[in-house]
This record gives sequence, C-alpha cells and structure tokens, in this order.
Amino acid sequence: MTVHTPTAAPYRFSDIIADPSIRDRWEKVRRYFFLRESTYDMTNRCNIRCEGCYYYAGDKQFAAEQKEEAAWRRLMEAEKERGITFVVLAGAEPSLVPELCRVCFEVIPLGAIATNGLKPIPSEIDYQIHISVWGNDTTSKAIRNATAMLERQIANYQGDPRAVFVYTFTPDNIDEADSVVARLVEHNCTATFNMFSAPVGYDGPLRHTPASLHKTRGMMQHLLAAYPKTVLFSPYSIVAHTSEQGLHDLFGCSYPRMNPSTAIGLGRSFRQYRTDLHWDRRAACCVPDTDCPDCRHYAAGSAVVTARMYRHATDPATFSAWLDYVDTYLAVWVRGYDKGENLCQSLIDPPPHHPSVSEES
Amino acid sequence: MSNQQTIKRITEIIINELKLEDVTPETFDVDLDLVDEIGIDSMDLATIALVLRDEYGIRIDEDDYPKLTTVRIIAAYIDDKRSQGE
Repeated sequence: MTVHTPTAAPYRFSDIIADPSIRDRWEKVRRYFFLRESTYDMTNRCNIRCEGCYYYAGDKQFAAEQKEEAAWRRLMEAEKERGITFVVLAGAEPSLVPELCRVCFEVIPLGAIATNGLKPIPSEIDYQIHISVWGNDTTSKAIRNATAMLERQIANYQGDPRAVFVYTFTPDNIDEADSVVARLVEHNCTATFNMFSAPVGYDGPLRHTPASLHKTRGMMQHLLAAYPKTVLFSPYSIVAHTSEQGLHDLFGCSYPRMNPSTAIGLGRSFRQYRTDLHWDRRAACCVPDTDCPDCRHYAAGSAVVTARMYRHATDPATFSAWLDYVDTYLAVWVRGYDKGENLCQSLIDPPPHHPSVSEES
Repeated sequence: MSNQQTIKRITEIIINELKLEDVTPETFDVDLDLVDEIGIDSMDLATIALVLRDEYGIRIDEDDYPKLTTVRIIAAYIDDKRSQGE
C-alpha cells in the first residue's frame, strides 16, 4: 500500500460524482446528513476506574446527578424541539442508569451509548452500543483494574447487532490488538478502532509517540486487510487517526470548544450536557478535557473529518477516501446502516488545512 | 451576467440540489435565511458551494460559509469574486 498524494487536478465536482461507484456511495451517505448530535453525561458513577479516563479528568465528575426521569424527558423533548436527532450517552457509565437511557431512547430514537460493557444494557434500548476495549484481559486488569474484562464484554454482547467493540490503541497494547480482534471476530463481534488521546495535563505512559503512531498504523492496516467485513474502518480512517498531527491540526476542529462560529454546523447545534443537565459552550466537545493537539479520538474524527466534504472534493481518489470515512462513521454510529466496501485502498494524504485567524487565536 | 441573472441561476441550483418541492424560482424568496428559514445544514451548504464552483469557476472559502446567508448575498459574493477575476 502506498501513499497517494493527489495533485491539484482541475476536477469539477460533477466529474467526480459521474463515476457510478462514487455517485452511488455519495447518494447513500448523503441521506444521513440530517443527523444533529449532542452528548450527555448520564451519571457520575462508574464500576471501574481506568488510567487516563476522560470523565474523571477535569471537573465534570463534580456535577450533581439528575436522577429524575421526568427531568430527563423534559430535556430530551427540548433537545428534539431544537433539532437534535442523534444522542450520544456517555460518562461516567450509562449502563448504571438504564432507566434514564430508556427515557432518552423513547424521545430521540437514534443514538449511541458509550459503555465499558460489564453490565448489559437492556435490548429494548435500541441505540448503537460502543464497548470500550483497551487491550487483552491482562492489560485491562493492569490499567482498568477489571478482571476477565474482554471475556465478560463478549459474553454480554456477542452477536448483539447494537454492539461495536471499540479497540483503543495505546502505545502499550498495539501488538495484542491482533489476538483481541481475532477473538472478537471469532465471537461474531463487530470492531472499530480508537486512539488514546491524552486529557489536558495527562503525563502518563498512554500518550502516543511518533513511533507508536507509526506502529499502530501498521497494525490497523493488517487488521483491516485480515477482517474487512467485521472491522469497521477504512484506509483513510487509518491516515486521519494515526498522523503525527492531531485531528485539530489536520482538519480544524468543529466542536464549540475550539470553534467560535455559531452560524452553521456543530458550532451552532452541538452541546455537551453534564449530569446536572447543564452545559458550557467553552467546554462543549465530544470528549471534554482532551488535550486538543493530541486529539485523535474516534468520536471527534466522526464529526471533524465528515464535516470537511468540500475540502476533499478535489479528485476522485480523495473524494472516495472521504466517502469511505463517512461510510465507516455511519456504520459505527447509526443502527441499521451497513458499511460498503471501501472505494479507496490507498493511503491518501489529508488535503491541506490553513487555519483561519479565529482558529489560530 | 447581471446580478438578477446570477440570483435566478443560484435559486435554480438551490432548488435542484435541496430537492425543494412545490417551489419555483419565481416563488422562492431570495432574502430568506438559508440556515434559519430554509433549514439547510452545513453539508448542504458545502454541496451548493461545490456546484457553484463548477458553475462559475470560483472557489468559495470555507471560512466564508457563515457569511452566505441568503441567495441575494451569495449572488453578490459571486459577482464580486468574478469581477476580481477569481
């Protein structure tokens, strides 16, 4: 596999989508751009405590818990009213409050739940369920203090169409991804990849280095080639998430925390609610308290890369790579969306990004 | 092409790209806010920008998207770019 660096070819958009395979994929993904997301911390409790956890960095953990279902229902109805169509239920551990997750599902039926997978979420809550995997059982015991974690996660979710196992690469678990993903595939579990992105001030061993990024890229390529039907990823996803530059420097982050614009896109609609049902524009981000220059987080990429369609419409290969990324994002986040075969097998360089004055300041 | 012609052509493009039903260039209010009143999203805006790029041979900077609030304003923006030879 080689790196393809497109030149500034004079392609018209109409030329690019004249290719039947590109047009079909464009029409397929375009139908989903009605999605408007926000995220919600559900409880300040968790049944494990992981090294480098985002939730327990910063002060989110100190927000009071709103436990009243009626209050959550009012919030969801207000969110629906302002145009939110997709909810992400996260911190600290949503499976501990299934009654609140159920209320959210009843009002806004599209969404995803981020969970450690140790406590099953009732099947009637038909959101996509993202189960965090940080390595094999030995590694999980060491950094999450949880015994037989993968075994318990698989027991809870194997064959569950809602479940996506999210393997988070750290510098220390790259080699073991091979055996972990093989085990997931063996148990009919779908997988995707995440990159550990350090919280602000984090100085521990999980922060990536250029060498670990390079090594991760090789492992992702190997796993995508070995399990193309069960690993939800694309070559362009690999490029975007393992580059030495983080997502913000590569693409320009569109979440309110880094994006001052309130005119269109995420800066206009996205909110990140804490457990007391309040939010703060200055902190609103898919993973608050992440050190932005180190951000390669899969959730951030979903919005940041996806929003940059215009920039990728330069030539068929680059646009195909972007379509693969969007196709991957939808398959990972949206229930019932089936990922197609990747259109672009090359490792395409991201288009140049020239930060505006407001982004630099 | 005069500003009125530009306005008419942009209106046709937007109606076509957004698949607006029961709307014609004659009935489309070119002073409606595309985001607040028509309800288009950032992806729609990017698509329209690409089609306009094809149509007029100009590049619309992503940073300029928030300024392009109505058809009339987009037409003035395009005419300005074209007059500068971009």
